Amino acid sequence: MEASVICSSQAKIRKTELAYRELGCFDPKGVSKAFSAKSRVCFSPSTMWRKAGIRFTLRAVQSEAVRSEKVSGPSRMSKSRDGVRLFVGLPLDAVSDCNTVNHARAIAAGLKALKLLGVEGVELPVWWGIVEKEAMRKYEWSGYLALAKMVQDAGLKLHVSLCFHASKQPKIPLPKWVSRIGESDPNIFFTDGAGQHYKECLSLAVDDLPVLDGSTPIQVYHEFCESFKSSFSPFMGSTLTGISMGLGPDGELRYPSHHMLTKSNQIPGVGEFQCYDKNMLGILKQHAEATGNSLWGLGGPHDVPTYDQSPNSNNFFRDNGGSWDSPYGDFFLSWYSNQLISHGNRLLSLAASTFSESAATVCGKIPLMHSWYKTRSHPSELTAGYYNTTTRDGYEVVAEMFARNSCKMILPGMDLSDEHQSHESLSSPEFLLADIKKACRKHGVEVCGQNSSASMAPGGFEQIKKNLLGENIVDLFSYQRMGAYFFSPEHFPSFTGFVRSLNQPELHSDDLPEEEEEAAGSLNVSSEASVHMQAV
Amino acid sequence: MFFSSGFRIMSTVSMEPLLHHSVRESVRYALKSRIFKPSSWSCSTNHKLVFHARSFCNFRSSNVHALRASTTTDTDLVETLESTDIFFKETFPLKRMETVEGKIFIRLDHGQNNGNWQLTVGCNLPGKWILHWGISRVKYVGSEWDQPPEEMRPRGSIPIKDYAIETPLKKSSSSEGDALHEVKIDLIPTSAIAAINFVLKDEETGAWYQHRGRDFKVPLADYLLDDGNLVAAKRSFGVWPGALGPLSNLLIKAEVSPANDSESSNESREAKKKGRSLEGFYEEQPIAKQVAFDNSVTVSVRKCPETAKNLLYVETDLPGDVFIHWGVCRDDTKTWEIPDAPHPPETISFRDKALQTRLQPKEIGDGCCGLFTIEEGLQGFLFVLKLNKGTWLNCMGNDFYIPLSRSSSLLAKSRQGLSGSAQILEKNAEEKEEASLSAYTSGIINNIRSLVSDISSEKTRKNKSKEAQESILQEIEKLAAEAYSIFRSSIPTFLEEPIVDTEEPIAPAKISSGTGTGFEILCQGFNWESHKSGRWYMELKERASELSSLGFTVIWLPPPTESISPEGYMPRDLYNLNSRYGNVDQLKEVVKTFHEVGIKTLGDAVLNHRCAHYQNQNGVWNIFGGHIKWDDRAVVADDPHFQGKGNKSSGDNFHAAPNIDHSQDFVRKDLREWLCWLRKEIGYDGWRLDFVRGFWGGYVKDYLEASAPLFAVGEYWDSLSYTYGEMDHNQDGHRQRIIDWINATNGTAAAFDVTTKGILHSALERCEYWRLSDQKGKPPGVVGWWPSRAVTFIENHDTGSTQGHWRFPGGKEMQGYTYILTHPGTPTVFYDHIFSHYRSEIAALISVRNRNEIHCRSTVKITKAERDVYAAIVGEKVAMKIGPGHYEPSGPQRWSLAAEGKDYKVWETS
Repeated sequence: MEASVICSSQAKIRKTELAYRELGCFDPKGVSKAFSAKSRVCFSPSTMWRKAGIRFTLRAVQSEAVRSEKVSGPSRMSKSRDGVRLFVGLPLDAVSDCNTVNHARAIAAGLKALKLLGVEGVELPVWWGIVEKEAMRKYEWSGYLALAKMVQDAGLKLHVSLCFHASKQPKIPLPKWVSRIGESDPNIFFTDGAGQHYKECLSLAVDDLPVLDGSTPIQVYHEFCESFKSSFSPFMGSTLTGISMGLGPDGELRYPSHHMLTKSNQIPGVGEFQCYDKNMLGILKQHAEATGNSLWGLGGPHDVPTYDQSPNSNNFFRDNGGSWDSPYGDFFLSWYSNQLISHGNRLLSLAASTFSESAATVCGKIPLMHSWYKTRSHPSELTAGYYNTTTRDGYEVVAEMFARNSCKMILPGMDLSDEHQSHESLSSPEFLLADIKKACRKHGVEVCGQNSSASMAPGGFEQIKKNLLGENIVDLFSYQRMGAYFFSPEHFPSFTGFVRSLNQPELHSDDLPEEEEEAAGSLNVSSEASVHMQAV
Repeated sequence: MFFSSGFRIMSTVSMEPLLHHSVRESVRYALKSRIFKPSSWSCSTNHKLVFHARSFCNFRSSNVHALRASTTTDTDLVETLESTDIFFKETFPLKRMETVEGKIFIRLDHGQNNGNWQLTVGCNLPGKWILHWGISRVKYVGSEWDQPPEEMRPRGSIPIKDYAIETPLKKSSSSEGDALHEVKIDLIPTSAIAAINFVLKDEETGAWYQHRGRDFKVPLADYLLDDGNLVAAKRSFGVWPGALGPLSNLLIKAEVSPANDSESSNESREAKKKGRSLEGFYEEQPIAKQVAFDNSVTVSVRKCPETAKNLLYVETDLPGDVFIHWGVCRDDTKTWEIPDAPHPPETISFRDKALQTRLQPKEIGDGCCGLFTIEEGLQGFLFVLKLNKGTWLNCMGNDFYIPLSRSSSLLAKSRQGLSGSAQILEKNAEEKEEASLSAYTSGIINNIRSLVSDISSEKTRKNKSKEAQESILQEIEKLAAEAYSIFRSSIPTFLEEPIVDTEEPIAPAKISSGTGTGFEILCQGFNWESHKSGRWYMELKERASELSSLGFTVIWLPPPTESISPEGYMPRDLYNLNSRYGNVDQLKEVVKTFHEVGIKTLGDAVLNHRCAHYQNQNGVWNIFGGHIKWDDRAVVADDPHFQGKGNKSSGDNFHAAPNIDHSQDFVRKDLREWLCWLRKEIGYDGWRLDFVRGFWGGYVKDYLEASAPLFAVGEYWDSLSYTYGEMDHNQDGHRQRIIDWINATNGTAAAFDVTTKGILHSALERCEYWRLSDQKGKPPGVVGWWPSRAVTFIENHDTGSTQGHWRFPGGKEMQGYTYILTHPGTPTVFYDHIFSHYRSEIAALISVRNRNEIHCRSTVKITKAERDVYAAIVGEKVAMKIGPGHYEPSGPQRWSLAAEGKDYKVWETS
C-alpha cells in the first residue's frame, strides 16, 4: 500500500497538471492541493471502490492507465473500474484519396463538440488504399497526420484503425497496384463456390505467399505498420492511444461469407464458405491428405445453401442430421476456422511486435454473426469462420489467440437487442455477445465495444448502456460514426442524451476536483502504477 | 420589422454630441503606448538577412564576456559564419498578438476637384476597414439611417439592405508617409442631408468601432445649405442634440429643444461659437486593435572545435525585452534540465526547472540576441520565449527543441511529451494559441474557452451549477449544428434531399411548425400605415371572410404589444396588448373571426429586443417594468448603447433598443411563458418572428417547442452579395445563411426567402430571367434548397408600403406573384397587393395553386431560363412562364391556359 500511495501522488500531479494544461491556465496551488488530496487516498479507500461504473471526463486524464496497461497485463481487469471511455469514429472518408482532410471544418467543429460533451477520443480509419495508393512502399501520410494534429489540438485521444481492406460506400479501393495484381491473378482474393471473387481484401491464404511483386502480404502489412509507427511517432502514446489492426473484410477477422447478400430487407441468409481460391484449395488438399482423408480435400461441403438461403434449404446446416454434425463436417469446419485464427494470429502478432514499444494498445475486431444463432449449427458463424455451435465453443480459442498477443478485442453490435431482430432469422445478438464476452473474461482479454455501423437501431442506446453498465469487461466504447447523420437533428440529441445518461450523476463532479471523486481516480491510477513499477 | 424602422425612432433619441471637439484644431490624444506605424513593423526577409550580418558584430562586442574561450570562439564565429561548422540553423516564425493603438480621423474640407465639401474618414491601423454609413435627411427628422443618393456613394460601395452603405477604405499614405486607410465622400450641396452617421468596421476581426459607444455623427445640415446660398453667414457645424431620454418620451419630446441636457447644449453652443471661423474640421479618435505580428527567431548551433562544446546563438527581431526560458535535455524524453554553470549574464533560475536569460539588445537594428555555451553530451536545447508583458511564444504549441549533436535529426522537432516546465509555461497558452488560430475557428474556440474557463472558475468555487451544464450543452448543439450543415452540404446528396422530401406523400395530418400543413398560403394582414386608424383589428375583421374565399390559410397579424413606435416593433410591456391596432379584446375578436372562417393567425413576435421602462444609475435605458421586470442582466453585453450585463449577443445587434440576452435561463423562461400565454389567451396559431438575425436559432427552437405553434416563420434578413454594385448571380452564400438559421432551429421554423425576392428584383428589373436558375438548374433562392422551409414573398411592410426600403420592381408584381404562387415553398401575399387592382389576378393564381395541390415541397423542373423568359413545370401539373419572351409548354400532357397577364402565363394539365 505504501508503494502505491507514493505512485499515486506522482500520478496525481501529472493528472492535475494535465488538467491545468487543458484549461490553459496554471494555478500553482493546484499542485499543492493535489498533494493534500493524496492523503485522503490513504485514509478513505473504501469509498472509491464503490464508485465503479461509468465515468466520462471532459479531459483526457487517463492516458497513464492506457500506457501502463501493456506492461501490467494481469491487472487489466482492475482498470475497467475506472469507467468506460467513449470514442467516436471519424467519417470513413475523413481523408480523401488525394490526402486532404475532407470537410475539415465540419470535423473541427465536431471534434470540439465531442470534447465538450466529454468524449475521450476519436477513431480514425486509415486506409491502405489511400496511404500506399500508387506504388508499394510509397507512403503518403500527410492527410492523416493533419487530421491527427486536429485531434490533438482538440485535446482528444486518437485510436487508429489500419484498414487493409476496401470500402464500397464510400468508395475506397485497395491500392491501385494491388488491384492491378489482382486483375492478373484473381486468386489473391477470397473466392466462393461459384468462383466469384471478393475483391475488397486479400485472401488469408496468400498471407505468406510472395504474390505482391515478390513480397508477401504479411511483409507489406508489416512495412506499412512500420511506416505508420515512424510517421506517427510524435503522437504515439500521447494522443494516439490505440491501434486496431485490419484483419479481413471490413477490418474484421472473418471470411467474406455474406458479401453477396442482395435483397437488403430480407432475412439474412446463411452465407457461403469462401475456400475456393486456388491457394485455399491447395491448403485444404494438403491438410486432408495429411490427416488421411484425401477425398475430403477436394473442395468445400456440397450440401450447403447459397448466400440468401435459410439453413434448412439444404442439408449441411440442418438442426438434426445436418452434415455439420458429422466427422466430415468437423474436419472441414475445424480446418476452415483454424485458417482464420492462424491468419488473425499472424497479423496480431505482427502488430503487437511492431507496436510493442509504442505505448498504444493494439486491438483486433471480430464480427458479431448473430443470425441463426438460435439454430443448433449457427450457420452464419460457421461460414464466417467461427466454429461455434451449440455443441462447441468457438470463441475460446479466438480469445486465447488475442490474449497470447496481448491484444484487445473490438466487438461490434453492442446496440443490438434480441427483441428487435426479426423473428424468422432466429438471431440472438445478446446471447452471442455474452458467449464472446465470457470467452474474453476467461482469457483476460479486454473488450472494446462498438455499435453496428448501420444507423442506430431502435432502442440501440439503451442496449449499449446495458452492455456497458452490466459488465466490467468493456472499458472502451467506440461509437460509429461521425457524419451528417451523426450531427443531424434526428440523431445528435439522442446521442447527447446517451452520453449524458451514462454519466448523469457525475457530469460535473467528474469535472471538478471534488475530493472523493479525485481520490477515486487517483487510487485507480495508483494501483496501475504500482503494478507498472513492479513489472518494470 | 426592419432595421430602419427602429432607427426612425432612434434618431430623436440621438446620441451625445459626438464631435464635441469638432472646432478645435486637430486634437492629439496622448496615447499610452507608441502610435502604431506600420512601416516600423515590417520585417521582411531582407531585413532579417541584414541582421544576420550586423548583429553578429554586435554579438561579439557585447557578449564576449559570456564566453569562456572567448578569443577563439570569437574568431571561430567570424570565420565560420558561413562555414559548415554551423550544423544547425533554422528560423522559426513567431506569431503574436499585440494591442496596437492608432486613430480614426474624420476630416471635413473642400474637395480637390469641384470645391464641394468632402468628408474624409480614415484610420492608420492595418486592417480591412469598412465604413458602414448612412445619412439622415433634413426633412425626415425622425430618420437616423437612410441611404445616401447614388452620386454620393464612392466606388465600391455596397448597399446594406436599404438603410446603409458599406464602403471599403482604400490604402493611401499620409503626408508623413505613414500608411493609412481612408475613404472620401463628396457631399452634394443640394441633397439636403442633415447628417452622416457611421461606424467603422474591421472585416478582419469583425470588430465595430464607434464613438464613445455610439455611432459617429457628422452633422451637415446648416452648413451645406448655407454654403449653397453662398452667404456663408454661419459656416459651422451644429452639434446634434444629445441623448434625451427614454424612447417612450421621444415622440412627445421630439420637438422639444435639448436645453434640458446641459452638457450637450453647452457643448453645442461652444461648438457653434468657435465654428464660425472655421472652414472645416479635423477630428481624431484613438482606437486600439489586436494585431497579429509576424516575427521570427533564428537559432544556429555550431561546434567549438577546441572545447567540443556547442555554441548556440539565438537571435530574434522581437521588439522590447525578450527573455529566453531555457533548459537542456540528455535524451529523447526531452525532460528539461538546468545545465551546469556558468550561465550567460542576466540569467536566473526559474522554479528549479529552467533558466531564464534576458536577451541582449542588438546594437544595430531592432531585436536582440544571445549566445549559449552548452556542454557536450547533451541531446538538445529546449526553450520558449517570454515577452515583457508575460506573453509566451513557443513553437506551434510546443517548446522549441534544438538538437545539439550532428547525428540527431537536423530538423527541430517540437516535443510532444509533457514535462514539468512545460506546464508552467502553459500559463499563457491562450495567447499563444490565439495567434495561430485561423479566423473561422477563433470564434468557436473562444466560446469554448470561455466556457471551459467558466467551468474552471466554478471548479474553484465548487459550484456545480446547472447553468454551466446548460451553456455547455448549448455550445455543443451549436457546434453540432455547424458540423451538420457542413457535412450535409459537402455530401453530394444534399441537393437531392429536398427532392426526397417532395417524393414523400404528404400526409395532410402531419403538421409541423416549420411547414404548417404544407399547403399554406399566407396573407400579410397589415402595412406600415395600418396603425393610423387606431382600429385596424376591426377593419381586418370585416375582410376575414373575403380573405378566406380568396384561398388564404394563414394571416399574419401586426405586432400586438404596447410599443414605443406606433407600428409595434419597439415593444415594451409584452403583456400589455393594447396597441395602435386596437385593444386586447379587439385582438381576441379578430383572431376568433379568422378562426371561424378557417384561417390561422400568426402573431408578430418581437423577441430580439425590448424597450426599457427606466434608466439605470448611468442614465441608460435598460431597466424593464411591466409584467416582466428585467434589469440590465437581461440585456446583451456587447451593445455599448445599453450597457447590458448579460452575455455577448448570439447574433447581430439591433441598435435601436436593448437586445435581449436569450442565453439566460430566466429570459427564456419568461419568453416561453409569454408565447404560451399568447397562444392560450389570444388564440394565435403561430408566429412571425421579427429580426431573428439577432439571436441564435437554437433559442427559437426552444421557444417553438414550448409554444407549439402550427406554423412559424422567421425574418432572417441580411444583404445579398454584390460585386461592383451589381448583384451576383450566385447567392448561395446568402441562402446558406438563411438555411443555417433554419437548421439551427432544427427545422422548427420556416424563414422568409429573401434570396428569391432579391433575385426576382434583378431578373425582372433588368430583364435577366436567366438568373432564376442556379448553377444546378434549381431555383436560386432558399426555395431551391429547402423548399418546405422557404416562405416566399415579394413585398412586406418594410420593403414596400410607405417605407419602400426595397420595393419590388414597379408594374412587375404579377410576375413575382406568378413565380411564388406556382412554385414550392409557402407563398405570402402582401395586404396592399390583395386590395389593389391586382386582386383578381392574384385570386386566379391562388386558385390554380389550390386546384392543383401545389404544396411547399412540390417539384420544379425549370424548362427555360433565358434572357427574356423563365419557364418551369411544377409538380407536373402546372406550367408557368414569366418574362416577355415566348414559351409554350410541351410534353405528353395536354396543357390548358389557366391564368394570364402582362408578361406571364400559367397553364394546368387538363
